[in-house]
Amino acid sequence: MSAVIEVEKLRKSYGEIKAVNDISFTVAQGEIFGMLGPNGAGKTTTMEIVEGLRPADSGSVSVLGMDIKQRPRRIKGSIGVQLQTTSLYPRLKVHEVLDLFGSFFHSALPYDELIKLVDLEDSRNKLCINLSGGQQQRLSIALALVNDPQILFLDEPTSGLDPQARHNIWDLIKFERGKGKTIFLTTHYMEEAERLCDRVAIIDHGEIISTDRPDRLISQYFKEEAIEFQLDRPLSDEALRQLAGATNVVTENGGVTVYSNSVPVTISALMEMAKQKDMKLTDLYVRRATLEDVFLKLTGRRIRD
Amino acid sequence: MKVLGKLLVADIKQFFRERSALFWTFAFPIFFILIFGAVFSGGNNVTFNVGLAVEDNSPAAQQLSGVLQQVPAFKLYTGNQSAELQALKSGDRRAVIIIPSGFGQTVLQRGNATVDVYYDPTQSSSAQVLLPIITQILERFGQPAPLINVNPVTLQTHEIRAIDYLTPGILAMAIMQLGIFAAMPLVVQRENRLLKRLGATPLRRSTMILSTVVFRLLIAIGQAALIIIVARLVFHVPMLGNWFFLAGMVILGGLTFLAMGFMMSAFAKTQESAMPLLMIVQFPMMFLSGIFFPTEMMPGFMHPIMDAMPLTYLADSIRQIMVQSSALHSHLINVGVLVGWFIACLIVAVRFFKWE
Repeated sequence: MSAVIEVEKLRKSYGEIKAVNDISFTVAQGEIFGMLGPNGAGKTTTMEIVEGLRPADSGSVSVLGMDIKQRPRRIKGSIGVQLQTTSLYPRLKVHEVLDLFGSFFHSALPYDELIKLVDLEDSRNKLCINLSGGQQQRLSIALALVNDPQILFLDEPTSGLDPQARHNIWDLIKFERGKGKTIFLTTHYMEEAERLCDRVAIIDHGEIISTDRPDRLISQYFKEEAIEFQLDRPLSDEALRQLAGATNVVTENGGVTVYSNSVPVTISALMEMAKQKDMKLTDLYVRRATLEDVFLKLTGRRIRD
Repeated sequence: MKVLGKLLVADIKQFFRERSALFWTFAFPIFFILIFGAVFSGGNNVTFNVGLAVEDNSPAAQQLSGVLQQVPAFKLYTGNQSAELQALKSGDRRAVIIIPSGFGQTVLQRGNATVDVYYDPTQSSSAQVLLPIITQILERFGQPAPLINVNPVTLQTHEIRAIDYLTPGILAMAIMQLGIFAAMPLVVQRENRLLKRLGATPLRRSTMILSTVVFRLLIAIGQAALIIIVARLVFHVPMLGNWFFLAGMVILGGLTFLAMGFMMSAFAKTQESAMPLLMIVQFPMMFLSGIFFPTEMMPGFMHPIMDAMPLTYLADSIRQIMVQSSALHSHLINVGVLVGWFIACLIVAVRFFKWE
C-alpha cells in the first residue's frame, strides 16, 4: 500500500517546551492510523502541522505526494479536518452550515446525503447551538466529509461522549474506511486505539515511542496476562514479585496488578500467600494485557492521569 | 464571489437570529434619539449668551440692536464695551457684538459699516453655530434693502435645534460602535476555533475578512437609514445635504472603526478581556467627541484628546452634511483624519492579529 502521509523528522517548540521532538511516521492509503497518548503529548500539534494549520520548526511533511509548505491550498482541498471545537456557527441550522462549508471547496457532497450519513436527519433544521454533544460531534465529522476527502483527520473524535455515541462514531469511521478513505486520528482512549485503529503510534513528550498494529504492540511487550485485585492492607511489591510465574508488579491506590506468564500457577500461589498472612483479597480478576499496560510499561505513567 | 455571497448570507442569518445583537445595533441608537428628542422638545432650543455694546446713538444702531434682541437663539445682555468683554473673558458670554460709534453715519452714507464680533476661537460651538448666525444677520442688515423694515423673523438663520445637533452625532456614534464591536465576533470565533477550522479549508482569508467588512458596512448603512428616518418622522430633523456624500461618510467611518475593531481583536485574547477593552475605547469617544455635549463645555486641557479622536471628525462631517452646522473642520480635514486612523489601525491589526 502506498503512503498518503509521510512525516520526516518533525520538530516544533514553544519556547522551552518541545511539543514535537523529531517525529517520523507514514500513513498508508486506506488505513485507520491512530496517535495514542496523554493530553499534552504532542498529538494535536503534530496533526495540525500535517493539516497545514501550523508551521513546523523543521522536518518535512508530504500529504498525497505534495509538500504541505508548497501546496497548502491544494492539499486542504483534498483532505477533511475535524478539530476539537464547540459549535462553529451557533445560530446557523445544520443544513446551512454544511451548505456553507461545501461552498469553500471545488466540489461538495449534497448536504442531505451528509446529514443522512451522520444520522442527523431529525436535527436537519435545528440551530447548531441546540445540538447535543454527540450531535455536534457528528456534525463536525460531516463537515470534515463535505468535500468527499481522500484523507480524514479526526482530533479526539469521541472525546467526552457516552459509550453509545462513541460506538456510533466508530461505526461511521469504519464505514468511511470501507469506502477507501484514509483516516488519521488522535485519541487518549486506549480502547478506541485498540478496537478502531489498524495501526497505532504511541506518543509521549513529543516523541513516538512505538508504532505497530495494536495486537502486535501488546504481544511485543507482553507475553503475559494481568491479574488485578485489592488487598486490605499494603504488601511490598518485592513480596508479590516472589509469586510463582509473576513477571512484574504495579501497585496503585491499593489496587495491585501482577503480570504473569502462567495465570493458574500465580493465582494459586497468591491464594496460598493470602491464607498464610491472613489477608483479605477482593475484586480479583484476570485480563489480557492492553495498550494501557504497554503505555505504562514504556513510560511508567498511565495515559489518563 | 459565490463564496462571498454564502458567507454574507450566513453572517446576516446569524445576526438576525441573535436578538441581543439586534437590539444593540438598531434599538439602542433609536432610544437615544427618542430620549434626547423628548428631553429637548417643546422649543427648548440651544440659546447662547451674547453680549451687546452699543457705542453709537444713531437710529441704525438702535435698529440693529432691536433685530439682535429678537433672535431666538440669543439671550442678549447689553452693557458697555469693557464690561461685556470682561464677561466674555470670564466665560459668561459666548460672543460680544460691538456696534462702534459712527456706525449710523457710515450706514447712512451707504458705506461699509463695521461691527466687531468678539468670540473665543477655542470654544468650538461659538465658531460653529454662533458666528454664522451673527454674520447672516449683519449681512442682511447691511444690504441696501429698506433698513427700517428689517424683520428678524424672515431672517434665514438656519436654526439648529438640540435634536438637530444630536441626531448626526448619534448616527456617528452608532457607526463607531458597530465598527469597534466587530472585534467581539472575531474574538469569539478565534476562541471557538472557527477561524482555525476555516483555515483548514481552501477558503482564502481575504475572502473571509471581506465578507465581514461588507456585512458590517451593510448594517451601518441600514442603521444610518433607520436613524435618519426615525429622527425625521418623529422630530422633523432635516437631511439637507447630499445623500451620496452622506453614504460616503458612513462607509468611510465604518471602515475606520472596523479597522479599529480588528486592531482591538488582535489584543484581546478572550471575550472577557475584550469587553472592558472595547468599553475603555468607546466611552471616551462617546462623551468627548461633541456628540452629546458641545466640546467647548470641556476644560481646555481635554481639547487635545478630543482633537485626536476620529469620532469628533466623523460626527462633524455628518453634522455638516445633515443639518448644515458650521464646520469644526473642513470636510477635507475630517476625511484626512479618518483615513489616517484607518491606515494606522489597519497596520497595527495586520501586524498583531492572530488567527488562533
